[in-house]
Amino acid sequence: MALEKELETYKMKLPELMKDEGKFVLIHGDRVIDTFASYEDAIKEGYKGFGINPFLVKQIHSIEQVQFISRPLIPCSTYPS
Amino acid sequence: MPHFTLSLTQQGAILIAVVGVSAARASALKDANLPIPKYEKVTAMVDTGASSTCIDPSVLLALNLTPTGSVLVKTPSTGLQPVSADQYDVSLIVPSSDTSHVPLAIATLPVICCNDFLQSQGFHALIGRDVLSHCILIYNGGEMTFTIAY
Repeated sequence: MALEKELETYKMKLPELMKDEGKFVLIHGDRVIDTFASYEDAIKEGYKGFGINPFLVKQIHSIEQVQFISRPLIPCSTYPS
Repeated sequence: MPHFTLSLTQQGAILIAVVGVSAARASALKDANLPIPKYEKVTAMVDTGASSTCIDPSVLLALNLTPTGSVLVKTPSTGLQPVSADQYDVSLIVPSSDTSHVPLAIATLPVICCNDFLQSQGFHALIGRDVLSHCILIYNGGEMTFTIAY
């Protein structure tokens, strides 16, 4: 599944990432590459370092933030909740 | 301040936008000597009820994208618990109807993949509050128009 390893790494490393809460972390496989002040900077570094290979960019939060959509859409996911 | 004004439709504030790969992905594709997919024209609704911009998977597939994120999403279709959704990085351009104004352009925007757009909604995307956070939105119900300044 897409980003399964990276999402596991994020969950595992979250306690130590909490010092950068609110920033965006770049993860490739089981490695935390760095944290960035903006989403755009993290994405840029991801493509620079890994090309079109999988990498994860995620905003660091102690409690996962939820996006709310008021229309009856079905989110697509390759990773189970 | 650049802006455009469009007529409200029966569905609401609908506009035509183009979606492409993000600037960073375009650069990576170029470095790998891979073709950069052409922009996809989409019909989108401006929706203040969406915290994030959402796009139909057919558009993301046409751009040959793979997810670079995962977020929790709650919609009226997901029940009480939020569910995971794939997030993709794209570029978004909304051309201004006034050619003297620069278009509304975002080089790298995280969007959520959502099904059931075309079948149930009749359009490809929702422009959410993440994009509107860069704009001024005026909904003029009396004149049946909406204006976005950016």
